[in-house]
Amino acid sequence: MRRAAARLALLALLSLPLATLPLRAAQPSTQPATGEAPSARQKGDRATADQWNFAEEEEAAESWGQIVRSQAVDLVLFAAFTTLALVGFFQKSVRLQLVTLASSVVYMGLYKSQLISIVNVYGLLSGNLPIFKYNLVFYLFGGFTLVSTVLWGRLYCGRICAFGAMTQLMDRIVPARLRFEVPKAFDRRAAYVKYAFLGGALLYFFATGDLLFYRYVEPFWMFTRQGTVVMWIGLATLLVATVFIRNLYCRFLCPVGAFLALLSNLTVFRITRWSECKTCKICEKTCEWGAIRGPTIVASECVRCDDCERLYLDQQKCPHWLILKKKGGVAYMAPVYSPTAHSP
Amino acid sequence: MRTGGLARVVALVAAGAAVVAAQSAAAPGDAKLQAQLKQLFPVATAFSAKEGDSPHFKAYVGDPATKTIGGYAFWTTELEPLERGYDGPIKMLVGLDLKGMLTGIIVVEHREPYGYFSVDVPQFATQFVGKNIRDPFRVGSDIDAISRASITITSASRAVRNSARRMARQYLTPPEPPKQ
Repeated sequence: MRRAAARLALLALLSLPLATLPLRAAQPSTQPATGEAPSARQKGDRATADQWNFAEEEEAAESWGQIVRSQAVDLVLFAAFTTLALVGFFQKSVRLQLVTLASSVVYMGLYKSQLISIVNVYGLLSGNLPIFKYNLVFYLFGGFTLVSTVLWGRLYCGRICAFGAMTQLMDRIVPARLRFEVPKAFDRRAAYVKYAFLGGALLYFFATGDLLFYRYVEPFWMFTRQGTVVMWIGLATLLVATVFIRNLYCRFLCPVGAFLALLSNLTVFRITRWSECKTCKICEKTCEWGAIRGPTIVASECVRCDDCERLYLDQQKCPHWLILKKKGGVAYMAPVYSPTAHSP
Repeated sequence: MRTGGLARVVALVAAGAAVVAAQSAAAPGDAKLQAQLKQLFPVATAFSAKEGDSPHFKAYVGDPATKTIGGYAFWTTELEPLERGYDGPIKMLVGLDLKGMLTGIIVVEHREPYGYFSVDVPQFATQFVGKNIRDPFRVGSDIDAISRASITITSASRAVRNSARRMARQYLTPPEPPKQ
């Protein structure tokens, strides 16, 4: 029921670009006309015109080799970072996850400062995106985010996003006694607020075209350290609140997270659960994202943090293994795994 | 006496209104554009209307009657309509003198999310003043890189360079290379 509703919402969202298609179909016919006219004319009276003979660049279109080479540093750094994130994810390694989060804050945040933003979601839906060949890293980043979400879920939220990484690291530093665990019923309802933010922001963008509004919807501008007083006050409030309620922004407010959450309903490789999960509550209690409700993992809330999966693998804790052991099925068991030991 | 004073005031106001009306008739609604053109060519005495296949304004110097061209101004969005930043084109007015030097640029309109601290700051526009169109216009070398806004900055720089070169090819004769 809930999933059907989510699928419907996703469908509606993805069909938005189709709805605006007729509008845009009218544009290109005028655009290239003005765009091509000068160059066509230019070729006509070349003899008189091009005495400048601009040597390099634009006349002979740059080769792909040149284009890639000029962006090589960025491409390599980004590929290295995503590789680190994915290796940590597949190994379920705590240590690599921490390294990923720290490098996300430093590299994606402080160094690059280009996270997936609500503006990019709007750009995707309205068909307004940067030129491909000059912005390969941007497309690699966007492509990785979309594909990884469809394959595994909101991996992006859990490890790539610098703001999420920052609040997750904050959560490890802040003393536990300060933390306020929100009641489950509240948690479930508050999780829908982000969809309202997503819908509201997109409607506002489509209606006004005023993109700068994004700075009041999401805090990612903080890494650029360029904000107005109002923005800084809002950010400070949010961060103070995050001390008490962990990952407050990611769980309840983030419109990008909401978009990826809609997409994550399509997740291909989901977390498998044992039959014992119907009664056991260990993972549900451990989950810091409120994503486990009884026997099911709610894909749209799960950011693939690995906490529950590490428990499944822990033969000292997970009832699945303990029951097997009691039944005398030890012989079938894989080598003892303990998440505290260094993973392979 | 009193009525005479009143009549004089009314006459003055009417005259003033007539002058204002006449001026606004001469420049229908493009006072802002004229001011921008003047900013790029402070010595110009008059400007042509927009004209040409590569749409541009001519800046006239000296006696307006002689129509001596001192330079050209144009919109990057009209000469390089396919160039785009994060969210569509960045609209800039560029001034180009007859030797192929930029007299300046004015960033007029854009929807760049990171534009408010990259292309909107005055330092961005000022670094183009006096640039030669043979310069590379490469962000990081002769154009200041603004970290975190590279998509916006590189798009704006490409737009200025390519539109200026397009103008030059069509309307300017390159200066003689210096004799060795």
